[in-house]
Formats: sequence, structure tokens, C-alpha cells
Amino acid sequence: MNDKTQNKLVLIVLLWLAAFASLAAPPTLPANLNWQTNDTDPAFADPNAKRGGRFRTYTPGFPLTLRQIGPDANNTFANYLRANSLSLVSIHPNTLNPIPELATHWAFDPDGKTVYFRLDPDARWSDGAPVTADDYLFTMEFMRSKFILDPFSNNYYGEILKDVVKYDDYTIAVAAADAKPNYELLFQVAIGPTPRHFHKLDENWVKNYNWRVEPNTGPYQISEVRKGKYVEFARVEDWWGSDKRFYRHRFNVDYVRVKIIRDQNAAYSYFAKGELDSFGLVMPRLWYKKAQGRPFENGYIGRIKFYNDVPQSPQGFFLNTGDPILADRNVRLGLAYAINVDKVIRTVLRNDYERLQTMNEGFGDYSNRDIHARPFDIAKANQHFDNAGWQTRGPDGIRTRNGERLSLRVTYYSQDHTSRLVVFKQEALKAGVELTLQYLDPSAAYKQIMEKKHQIALMAWAGGGLTPRYWEHFHSDNANKPATNNITNTADPLMDREIIAYQKATTKEERVRLARELELMVHESAVFIPTYKIPYTREAFWRWIRLPQGYATRTSTEIVEPFGTSSGGLFWIDEDVKTEVQRARPLGEKFDPIEILDETWRVGAQPQISGGGAP
Amino acid sequence: MRFRLNPVTRRRWQRFRQIRRGYWSAMLLGTLIAATLIAELLINSRALIVSYHGWHFPTYGAVRPGSDFGLDYAYETNYRELKKKFANDGDADTWVLLPPVPFNPFETDLVENDFPPFAPSFTSGHLLGTDITGRDVLARLFYGFRIAIVFSLLLLTCEYLIGVVIGCLMGFWGGTFDLLLQRLIEIWSNVPFLYVIMIVASVVPPGFGTLLLITVAFSWMGMTTYMRTATYRENARDYVMAARAIGAGSGRIIFRHILPNTVSTIVTFIPFSLTAGITALTALDYLGFGLPAPTPSWGELLKQGTDNLESLWIVGSVVCAITLVLMLATFIGEAIREAFDPRAFLFYE
Repeated sequence: MNDKTQNKLVLIVLLWLAAFASLAAPPTLPANLNWQTNDTDPAFADPNAKRGGRFRTYTPGFPLTLRQIGPDANNTFANYLRANSLSLVSIHPNTLNPIPELATHWAFDPDGKTVYFRLDPDARWSDGAPVTADDYLFTMEFMRSKFILDPFSNNYYGEILKDVVKYDDYTIAVAAADAKPNYELLFQVAIGPTPRHFHKLDENWVKNYNWRVEPNTGPYQISEVRKGKYVEFARVEDWWGSDKRFYRHRFNVDYVRVKIIRDQNAAYSYFAKGELDSFGLVMPRLWYKKAQGRPFENGYIGRIKFYNDVPQSPQGFFLNTGDPILADRNVRLGLAYAINVDKVIRTVLRNDYERLQTMNEGFGDYSNRDIHARPFDIAKANQHFDNAGWQTRGPDGIRTRNGERLSLRVTYYSQDHTSRLVVFKQEALKAGVELTLQYLDPSAAYKQIMEKKHQIALMAWAGGGLTPRYWEHFHSDNANKPATNNITNTADPLMDREIIAYQKATTKEERVRLARELELMVHESAVFIPTYKIPYTREAFWRWIRLPQGYATRTSTEIVEPFGTSSGGLFWIDEDVKTEVQRARPLGEKFDPIEILDETWRVGAQPQISGGGAP
Repeated sequence: MRFRLNPVTRRRWQRFRQIRRGYWSAMLLGTLIAATLIAELLINSRALIVSYHGWHFPTYGAVRPGSDFGLDYAYETNYRELKKKFANDGDADTWVLLPPVPFNPFETDLVENDFPPFAPSFTSGHLLGTDITGRDVLARLFYGFRIAIVFSLLLLTCEYLIGVVIGCLMGFWGGTFDLLLQRLIEIWSNVPFLYVIMIVASVVPPGFGTLLLITVAFSWMGMTTYMRTATYRENARDYVMAARAIGAGSGRIIFRHILPNTVSTIVTFIPFSLTAGITALTALDYLGFGLPAPTPSWGELLKQGTDNLESLWIVGSVVCAITLVLMLATFIGEAIREAFDPRAFLFYE
């Protein structure tokens, strides 16, 4: 064997080794990553908060399952579970900047699709096991599994998200399928971990895990379930997050009992007796009629009206352009002028709500504030109906065209809307259009609307999200087919192009410009008649509930909110005050009444705070 | 040919008239029902007479736009405002005569800067106040009564027609037919009525016809039991045997002999069936499975009332109305039962 061959052999062996090593070695993090975190934004909890006590609230129905995923899991109760299942990052409720949650740091890849996360090594499951990169890998496996019977999760984790890569036990990367601006991308890929040690994925998963309590990462965990009566959450012992910057002095109560009370009026009676600690009073009926009287005057119960600044859910009349009458834009315009929203607000709603101007309000720069909803104007309505050929009026005063009456069916699903709709109906008669009201229970209404069999739907989409969404509501891909959110059956090639451009745009400026243009197109097509928005939240609470400085946060949709990492768990219970109130109540002794109005975060108003005898 | 009552019926009628409470209850309920037939003349937003370039009677017929009376809008005239306008003009030839209660059950009479429900008041003209959308409670109560009573009468007619025919045949034919139908009725009466209504309501919003149909479908069984027994009893009587001996056919025996003798059974049930019909509709409306909004209805008012106990006039009005009607019907029922009681004509020695 000569030197040459020997060298060759060494080379081959070395190459082999190198190749083997590169296969076995974990992927390496790209160099020069710009790690970001947030330890500068102000904390928003109150250092005076005391620990302890049991907070009692209610929900209208007993959950059908304790799973968060799979059949029947998407119910109201799931919000309590989700609020205690943390994800990688959260959002600061006042500055709206990202803040650490299960990840301490994050960094963006230049490709616009991938975000790297450094996990918090302190994070623990409620059963004590550490939360590691493997739990995120398992999330992908779990959510893509066919055993969970959850098409939404299958789609989100399979199509929207592309991959999770583990670099070491506490470093991962999550990649989305499409590029997005950084801020949106961060929250899109901020997934939560799934406890691998708890789940056994097989065809019986849905059945086996119905009533099992999954270990979670949040401050509270289910401690007791009384079927049909209540579900109790207990604070996790030595919760790992207790001393983190944004969680300090929060989640103060030891127990949260969620009682099952089907009827709102019955629930209010429980509250008035002191068996619930707080009660939401957004509805004018409750605020003006129910929440009055002695317990309020004597200061046992306080009331707060708090203006917040959150995306408004698009609430209004959605006109189905697939309907032969409503296919005519003139009819839709006429209808927009024949709907008297202002009168409903002035009378039935007691001036409490405000007119919603466009479909997507409250998205900051993305909202087009130049658009104004069409006012009630009989002359203009008449003109548009005349133009559409509905010129003659029948003996009942309703317009007709070739013997057909201008009668349109409004599908709705909330009895509370009936009192508003009868006013709309009466006012629309003045323009010669008849609205027939079809009340359906929510699931039947949902079915009808999803099958696009409605003419007009009075409904609201759940608000939220970071930017307006147009594809699901207005792209022709979703028109004229069941089970899509394009319930107006809008199919406009011009709009399609803009929507796709909006989805593909990666800079914020571009997206803002397109969003505003799209909003104008929605307004011009007159397929949506905006009704009202509620720019605040209102609640009543017993005196022993103590609120922090500033009461709540910019994005609080509830004031006395036990869960939720963004702005939940800020209040605490003062047992001394509770004892005192319970002693004073039978004797009729008085305290200073608590009536708080907070306009700190009111949009378009000068900040001013007024309050009397804050607790 | 003069209509002649047979002596027994006449005696029953006299007996009924002697029972003052039942008799006056019947008169009162009868008047109320008759009044609902001309409800538009009593409780309505349309004027009875408008004198403006001749007399106009807008109550019945087509909508009269405001432009007909010199107003500047093309939608239906607001006659209350027209009356005020004419009064201000001071022209003796133009005037408006409004019905006693000048509101219809659908219109929302709203006041700026004040919020419904409004309490009863003479100045606003809402004698029983308004509901939570500002509609006149009295108008809704009265039109609601009309719908309920019509519903109830139709329900009663259909129920009795089916119940009497089937019950009578079961009793008359007996045997296998009787046996089969009894089992069928047992099964059918175990179908939960409310669930059926809920299922139907979730698919199509029930209108007056559908609601009536479903209610009839689940309530005709009660009458069959009584008719079956009554027919069995009469069938065994001597006069039926005599008729048969003469050679009378089944039809003649049923219609000439058995039915007239079971009529007392049927009649005594009528007032109670009437109230049952009203309460059924009210209950369905209360639960939200009844007639679609904005149909005036007692159930809907009751629901509003119980949801807004602070506004006592809503729940007070409707509870009083229901109590009154049910009480009247019960008094009538008692009186009829007593008047038809055979023991009043028998003397045991």
C-alpha cells in the first residue's frame, strides 16, 4: 500500500465521518440573530394586591367536554381553559408590544416566515414536569393528527404553519407557510406546548380525554368538577410565573368557582344575593333597569363603566348578493338608507351604543376612518329603489315590481335584537320596504347562513385579530358555497386581486394602503350595513372586589376577569371588607357608593378620569 | 222553518241562565270576543274619520300616504300628528276622529331622550304603558287576545272534529279497530310535543298554520277517550237496539241517536279546551317557539314582563288579562257542567 492510497483511504474515512456527523448533529441556529425581549414596558398590576379568597362567576351551560380540541370543544367554557394554556409570547395590554410568556426571547429570520424562540427554562406544567422544546414538537404532531377530529386545528397547524424545529431543549424555531410582516408573523407562530407525557393519541383519544384534566402552564388548574353544578379552578401551587415581570401581583385569588346558571336573570339574582362576585352589565337593559337600588346606593355593590380600545366586531346587516332582489346594488343602497340605526341607538339603546361606520373598526392604521356609514335618508332610499325598478306601491304601502313585493327576510338569533328589529322594520316601511323577521335559535341560524340561504343576516363576527380579514369574507373563492364566511356571496374580480395582493404584501405600509382600499370597496358594494359598536365595557362588583390603579387595561373586555395572561387576574379580594359588608348589609349601614367612569382609553376623546370613592 | 230547540236543550239553557256567575261570564267573554272582530275600530293608529276635502275612512283598505292629507311624505300618514296639525290650523272643516286607543300593536311610540318601557299615563295615551320597545301594552294585549282566541277556537274545532270522529268509531265498531287505535294513541301521546315544536322551529319558523297543525296533531287524542266511552255506553242502550231492530243503518244510528246523546259530554269540555288552547299558545310564545316576532302575543309580553320585573305594568297587565280570561272560561265551564248535569232532572224517592 503506497502513501497515495493510504491518504485516499484516510480522506474517505474522514469524509464518511463528516457526513455522519452532519446527519446526527442537531440543526444549528443561524448566526447573527437579533434576539429581542421586552423587559422595559411598564408592569400593570397593583403591588398592593393581596392573595387569597374565592372568586365566584358563572357560565350559562355546563361544558360538553374538558378537552380544548376536538368535537364540542369550541364552547364558552373553553375560554377558561385557553386562558390558562399559555403560548410562546403574549401582547402587552396597554402598549400592544409583544411580551415574553413561555419564551423569554424571540428573533426573526430574514425570510419573513420563521421566528426563533428561547424558551423560559423556569416554565413548568401544572404536574411539575418542565416545558421543553419537545412539547412544541408534539403540538405539531398532535394538532395535525386525524385522531383529534378537529379540521380547524388540522388546517391551521398543517397549512398555515409549516414546521417546528428544535435546536436544543430550550431553543426552537416556528415557521409559517407564507411571509408576513414581523409583528403579525410573531403572533401567528406563537403556538402553545402540548404535554407529550399526558396524551396517548389513538382512535379513542376524543372519547378517552373528554373529562380528563390536561396539565397546563397557566396560573390556575381545574381542581373540582361537579357535573351540572360548577367547575372549580385552584391556583397552581408555586406557579412558575408568579415572579415574572408581567405576572407579579396578579392572579391573586386562590380559587375561581365557575357556577352553571342557565338564565341571565337568575344569574343576576344570585349576584344580587352576593353569591356571585361580579356581573357584566354591557346591555342597557341590565345597566339601567336591573343594576339599581339599595345595594348600589349603600355602596355594597359598585359599578364601573370603562372605555376600552379594541377591534370592534363587525355587527350589522349582511346582504346576500346571491338573492335575486339583493343582487341589485341599487336595492342594497336603498336598504342602507332605509335602516334607521340612529333612531334605534337614540331610543331602544338609550344612546349607549355608537354607530359603527365600517366593517373593520379599531384596527388602528388599518381602519379606514374616512368612510362613514350611510345615514337614514328616505329621499335617497326612495331614489335608489326607484332606480332599481321598484316604483309602484301596493295597497299596504310596500313597493312592488311586476307584481312582486319588496319584502326581505332578516335572519337573526338573539332575542335581545327583537326589540331593535321591530324599530328597523317600522322605519323601513317609510321607504316602502318590508322586513320580515325570522328568529332562529343560534345553531339553526348559523346553519341557514352558512348554507347561504338567508336574504339578510343580522349578526356579528367575533372580533379580534390583529388586522382586518378580507379573504374569508369577500373573496370569490368563498362565494356561493356552503361553510365559508363569505355570507354576502361577494365575487368581484377586482376585489379578488386586491385581497390577494393584501395577503401577499409584506410591508405594513402596503398592507395598510390595501386594507383601506378594500374597506372602501366593501362600502361601495353596499353588502354590509354597519349598525352599532360598543366602545366600552360595564360591570357591577361587590365592594370586596378590589381593582388595581387604572381599574383595567386598554384592551380589557372584562374588568373583573380572573384568567387571561393579557389583562386578567388584576383584581383581588379583600376578606376584611367582605366581613364588614356582610355584617353591615342586614343592618342597612351605608358605605360610600362606588360609581366609576373611566375614559383613559376612549378613542377620539380627551382622557379624563372621574370616580367616586374608588374601593 | 222556525228553529226550535228540543225541550231538554231548552231546559238546560234556562238552567244555565239561572247560574248568574256563569251566565254573565259567558256574556262578558262573548262581548270581548265580538269586540276583537272590530278591534281595528277600537285600537288602531289609523283614524276612524278624517275630514279633509270630504270625509275619509282610512281604517280598512289601502295605506293612505301622508300626501293624501296635505303632508309632505309618501309613507303612511301619522294620524295622531295629523290631528294635532289640524287642531293647530284651526280650520273647522278639517278634523280627525281617532279610535279610543290611537295606537296599533306594531308601532313603536318613542320619545327622544327617554327610554322605553314607559309607565302607564293618560297624557301619553298609553293606558297600560308600553313594552320595552315602546309599543302600547293595551294594543298588544288586545290584538294578542284576538290571535290567541282565534287560534284556540280553530284548535278546538279541529281537535273535536278528529277526536269525535275517531272516538265515536272506536266506540261504535269496537273490536280490532278499537284495540289498534288505542295502542296507536298510546304511542302517539308519548311523543314529547315540546321537542317536536322545538325541532320544527329550528328548521322553519312556525307560522300560524304550522303551529296550529302541530298542536292539533298532538292534542286530538284527549277527546277520543271520552267519546269512545260515551259511545260504548250509548251503544248498549235500549233505544239504540230498538233503532237497530227497526233496521236503521250505522250512519243513522251514529248521527241521529248516539251523537246527540253524547253532546253533553262534548259541550262541558269546550270552555276548558278554550283555555287550554290559549295557555298552549301563550306558553309556546313565552318559550320563543311560538309565532314569529313582531306578532302581538301574550306569551311574548309575559316574557318581557318577567325579564323586566322593574316595569311592573307589563307583567301586571298580561297576568291580569290571562287570569281574567281563564277565570271567565272556568265559570262558564262550571255553569255548563251544572246545567247539563242529568241529576238536576232526576228525582230519587
